Amino acid sequence: MHLERNKHRAKMAADGDPESEVFEITDFTTASEWERFISRVEEVLNDWKLIGSGVGKPLEKGELTSGSWEEHTQEINFADFRFIITHHCLKQESAESQSRDEQEEDAYPLAMQDLLCMNNDFPPRAHCLVRWFGVREFLVISPGANCEAVVSESKCNLLLSSVSIALANTGCQVPLLVQIQQKWRKVYAGECQGPGVRTDFEMVHLRKAPGQYTHLSGLLDVFKNKIGCPLTPLPPISISIRFTFVLQDGQQCSWPQQPPDFDALLAGEVGGVEFGKLPFGACEDPISELHLATTWPNLTEGIVVDNDVYSDLDPLQAPHWSVRVRKADNPQCLLGEFLMEFFKLCCRKETSEEILGRSAVEEEGKENSDISQALSKLTEPAAVPIHKLSVSSMVHSARKRIRRNRRAEESPINNDVLNSILLYLFPDAALDKADSSEVRSTQEPARDSEDYHLYNQLKSAPSDSLTSRLALCVCVVNFHHGGVRAVAHLWQEFVLEMRYRWENNCLIYGLAGGAPDLRCCLLHQKLQMLNCCIERKRARDDGRKSGASDRSRLGPESAGPAEVSPGKSWDSWSDSEEEFFECLSDTEEMKDTESEKKPGSKSRAEGRLQPHGKLTLLKSPEPLYIPVTQEPAPMTEDLLEEQSEVLAKLGTSAEGAHLRARMQSACLLSDMESFKAANPGCCLEDFVRWYSPRDYVEEEEVDEAGQTVVRGDLSARMKIPGNMWVEAWETAKATPARRQKRLFDDTKEAEKVLHYLSQQKPSDLTRHLMPCVLHAALLKIKEEEATEDIASVRKALQQVTAHASKLLRHPNPDFKKLEDVIVQMSAVEAVIACSRSLKAKFGIAGGQREDDTDELQRFVSCLLEEPEVSVVGAGRGPAGSIIHKLFVSSQRAALLAPMEDEAGRSGGTDDRKAVPDFPPPAGREVLLRTCVPRPAPYSKALPQRLFCVLTRDEFRLAGAFSSDTCFF
Amino acid sequence: MDDDVLTTLKILIIGESGVGKSSLLLRFTDDTFNPELAATIGVDFKVKTIAIDGNRAKLAIWDTAGQERFRTLTPSYYRGAQGVILVYDVSKWDTFTRLENWLNELETYCTRNDLVKMLVGNKIDKDNREVDRNEGLKFARKHSMLFIEASAKTRDGVQCAFEELVEKILQTPGLWESSIQNHGVQLSDHKQQHQGACGGYCSLV
Repeated sequence: MHLERNKHRAKMAADGDPESEVFEITDFTTASEWERFISRVEEVLNDWKLIGSGVGKPLEKGELTSGSWEEHTQEINFADFRFIITHHCLKQESAESQSRDEQEEDAYPLAMQDLLCMNNDFPPRAHCLVRWFGVREFLVISPGANCEAVVSESKCNLLLSSVSIALANTGCQVPLLVQIQQKWRKVYAGECQGPGVRTDFEMVHLRKAPGQYTHLSGLLDVFKNKIGCPLTPLPPISISIRFTFVLQDGQQCSWPQQPPDFDALLAGEVGGVEFGKLPFGACEDPISELHLATTWPNLTEGIVVDNDVYSDLDPLQAPHWSVRVRKADNPQCLLGEFLMEFFKLCCRKETSEEILGRSAVEEEGKENSDISQALSKLTEPAAVPIHKLSVSSMVHSARKRIRRNRRAEESPINNDVLNSILLYLFPDAALDKADSSEVRSTQEPARDSEDYHLYNQLKSAPSDSLTSRLALCVCVVNFHHGGVRAVAHLWQEFVLEMRYRWENNCLIYGLAGGAPDLRCCLLHQKLQMLNCCIERKRARDDGRKSGASDRSRLGPESAGPAEVSPGKSWDSWSDSEEEFFECLSDTEEMKDTESEKKPGSKSRAEGRLQPHGKLTLLKSPEPLYIPVTQEPAPMTEDLLEEQSEVLAKLGTSAEGAHLRARMQSACLLSDMESFKAANPGCCLEDFVRWYSPRDYVEEEEVDEAGQTVVRGDLSARMKIPGNMWVEAWETAKATPARRQKRLFDDTKEAEKVLHYLSQQKPSDLTRHLMPCVLHAALLKIKEEEATEDIASVRKALQQVTAHASKLLRHPNPDFKKLEDVIVQMSAVEAVIACSRSLKAKFGIAGGQREDDTDELQRFVSCLLEEPEVSVVGAGRGPAGSIIHKLFVSSQRAALLAPMEDEAGRSGGTDDRKAVPDFPPPAGREVLLRTCVPRPAPYSKALPQRLFCVLTRDEFRLAGAFSSDTCFF
Repeated sequence: MDDDVLTTLKILIIGESGVGKSSLLLRFTDDTFNPELAATIGVDFKVKTIAIDGNRAKLAIWDTAGQERFRTLTPSYYRGAQGVILVYDVSKWDTFTRLENWLNELETYCTRNDLVKMLVGNKIDKDNREVDRNEGLKFARKHSMLFIEASAKTRDGVQCAFEELVEKILQTPGLWESSIQNHGVQLSDHKQQHQGACGGYCSLV
C-alpha cells in the first residue's frame, strides 16, 4: 500500500518455488517530496478509516440539509507547503447498522450513486460541493491558511496525480477533491475511484457566461458533447432547473416603524417625555431581500423549450416555489444601539471633574461651603420646623443653587430636560404637601413575580426603584443629550439631590425601606443605606422634639406633634462623638413615665418596651421588661465584606476567636445596658432568661421541707468564669438605649455614602447601573416578544438571562464579557423586528384575510427559523400570490424610474404586458443528469452529471463524469 | 498548600441557641469536644481543608450565634454561602419546631438560591431524645435537604456531615466555579466557524 521502491531481482531462474524466486529489498531512502506527500495522504485516509466501499441507503428527501454533518481536518505538507485535508461526512444512523454483506462486491461507490439521486436537488443549506455534486461524503485538500493558491497548471496536475495515486493505492472510494485557483473562486477538481470505475470532477469558472450557453439548449449541448455518447438514441437526460428572483427591500413596502423623534418630543412639552421607556425596534427594514426560487424538477428534454429566442420557463407556472429572506447584516436596532452606547461608557476613564471642567469643581467647592453655612443656619434654634418644609420646595431650592452656579451654556443638559428628568426621578417633589412619611418607598415586588426573579438573578434592583429609573435616565441622556458629559452632569445633580435630602431629613423616594437589600446592586444598597441614615436621623430629631416637649411640659399628654421648642432640641447633631441613640415613640415615654410614678419601684426604670410575658425578676417581684434596644447597624455588601475580612483575619486561634467575640459584643453590651435600665435590680440570670432562654436551666427539686420547687440556674457555659457574657454584664451600666452611644453612626455612614457617590466616575456609574439597564432591556424584549410569540426568541432570552446572571453575580464581573450579552440582546431584537417586518409584508398584522391567516402565520414563522421555506401551492397559494404581488409592485415602482437596459431575460408571464411581473432572475441553476456508457459504447452505463450556475457575475459548470476503467 | 486547592467554599452553620453548632464545628475542625464551650457572640469563623474524591476544597465555615437578638446581626454573613448546615437538638423539641423560621431567614438573606442545605440532628448521645429520626427525615425531604443525625460529643456523623455537604456542592454545577478566580477554563458557547463550508447559498447571488 505504501509507496515503495521495490527492486526485484531474479534469483535462480530454475528455482521451482515461486515464493523464493523473488526477494525484495524495500528502500525508502530516495523517496521524493512528492512521494512523501502521497504517502501522507494515504496515511490520513487510513487513519480516518475511509478505505473500502462505503455503505449507505439512498438519501432521503432533504437529508443533505436536515442531517448533521461531521468534519475532520488535518494538516499535511508538500515539502514546506501546507495543505489542509478535510473530510466532510453526513452523519447517518443507519450506516453502521447495515452490514457489509448486503453490499454487492462490485457496487459503485456511494458518491457515484449520489450523483443521480433526485431527492436533494438545490439543498437550502449545504457545502457548495454538496450542492453541485449531490455527494454525502467527500474529502477536500486545500492550501492552508495564509498559503498561496494553487494556480499553475503543472501544480494542479501534480496534485491531481497525487490524489489519483493515493486513491488507487488505498482503495478509498470517497471522492477526493483539490481546491485550485484563488479561494474565493471555489474551483475544485478531483476524482472518485471504484472497482473498475472512475468519476472525474471537473469545473469551469468564468466571470461572464458565453452567449451560447446562457440557456438550457446551449447547456445541454455542452453536456452531450462532454459525455460524448455514441449511442442513438441518446439515453434520456433528466433536467432540473431553478430560477432565483430577488426582491430588494423597501421599494414598495414602507417600513412600518419610524424611529422616535426625541428632539421633537423634548422641544415640545417637557412633561411629555417618558424617561421610563426603552426604545425598541429597527430603524430600517431588517429584511433586506426576499429571494424567491422557482423550481422545475425533473424535466426531460423536449418538454420545455428554452433557447436564445424563446422560453417556456414562466416562474408563475413553476411547480415548486420556495422563499428565503436575507436579513440586513447589521440592522440598526434602537434598543441594541442604546445599550451599546451605554456600555461604551464603561471604558471611559475621566472623572466628572475632568469632563465638566475645573471651574465646575471649584464652584462645587464653594457650593459645599455654602451648604455648611446653610446647615448651620438650619441648626440654629429658630430654624423652620421640618414638617412644614414641603419636598418640592426643597428640590426647588436645590435646583436654584445649581443653576446659580453653572451658566446655562456650560450645562450639557438643558434645564427643561434636566427638570423633567429630575421630576421623573423624584416624583415626590411634585406632591405639594407631600407628607414625608407617605413618601416612604416602593413595595418590594412579590416573590413570584418575574421582576423579582430578574433582579435577584441579575443583581440589579426592582424595576420601579429609584436606581432603575436613574439607570434609564443615564441611558437616555447618554444617547440623546450629549454622551458622557451629560451623564456626568446628571450624576452631579443626582448626588447633590442626595446630599440635600440627607441634610433636610427628607427620605429618598422609590427605595424599599429597611436595611440594604444585599440581592441588589451596590449602588442601590448605598442609596438604601443613605435612606436608613436619614430615617435614623429623623427619628432622633423627632424623639428629641418630643423629648424636649416632654421635659418642658412635664406630662405624657404633651406628647405628640408639637412645635419645636427653641434651644435644646437642636443641639449639635453633627458631632457624632457626643451623639446618643434616641429612641422614639411617645407611647413608650408614656409607659415610662407611668411606671415611674408607680410606687414601689426602687430606682427609676427607663426604656421599657413591654413586659416579657409573665416573668418577674428573680430577686424582686417586679415584672421582667424587655427593653427598648438599639437596632444594629445596617450594612451594604462592601461594608460587610470589609467586616467579614477583618473578622476572618483574626484567624482561628482561641485568641482570635476571643477578639472576634469582643469586637461583636458591642451589641450585646448595649442590650445589657438597656436591660439593666429597664429592670432595676435585675441579675444576669434575668437577662439570660430573656436573651438566651435555653441557657437558663430549670429543674424540679425536692427541698428540705419535702416540697418540690423549681430551681433555675445558668447553663454550664454561662457559668464559665470570665466568659464574655459575664464580663459584659459586669461592665454594663444601666443606661437606656436612647442615652447610649450610638451603635450606628448615621452621620458618619451618610457622609461615607455621599462621599462614595461623589467619587464615582461616569464609567463607575455605568458599571453600577449596567445590571439595572440589562434588567429593563430584558423586560422590554419580553414585553415585545409577547405580541409576536416566537419560540426561538423565548429560548434565546432564557439563555441571555442565564448568561447575564452568571456574569453579573460573579464577585468581580468581567464587564468586557457583558458586551456579548448586549450583542445577543440586539440579535433577539432584530429577530423580533424581522418577524414584524414579515408580518407586515404578508399582511398578517392587519388580519383581514382570515382564511389564510393561519397558514401565512406558519409561513412567516418558518421563514424566521428555517433557511428556506417552500411555498404551499407555489404561485397560486396564499403566500405565493402575495409574493407575486410584491414582485409586481416592485417591478412597477422600479420601471417608473428610467431603467438600465432590459436586455436580460425577463421572467414576465405575458409578452403583451409592458412590464414583466418578475425581474430577470438573479441566478439560474440547471442540473443535468444521465446514465450512459463511457468511454466506449460497450462500457458500463455510468452516472454523469453537470451542474450549471449562471448569475450576473459568475458562470460555473461543475461536472462529474464517470467512465469505465476496465479496459482503458 | 493553598495552591492545589480546587476551590474555597463558604459554609454556614445556623440553628437555635444551644443546639451545639460550635461544638459540631470544633469536632470537625479540631476533633475535640468541650462541654463548656462559651456561647457564641455574633459570628465565629474557622477554616479547614478537606479532600473529596481527590479534590481539595478549603472550607471557610461561619458559625453563628443562635439567640434571637443576634439574628439582626448574623444574617448579613449569609451572603455568598454555598452550603449551610442547619442544626437542631434531638433532645429539645422546640429547637426542631423553629427550623422553618431558619429556612425563611435563609431564603430572605441568602444571595443565591441554589445553595446546598443540610439538616443535622445533634446530641444523639443523649438519653432524653424528643425528636425522632423520622421527623428529621421528613422535614429534610420536604425541603430538599441533606439529612444526618450526629453527636459532637461522640463524633458520630460529624465528619460525614461536612464531607457529604461539600461533595454535594462540588457536584452542583455553577455553584462553586465562580469562586475560582481566573483559574477556570472558559468554555465558549460559540461553535467554531466552519471554515470550509460555505453557508448555504454560496453559489448564488
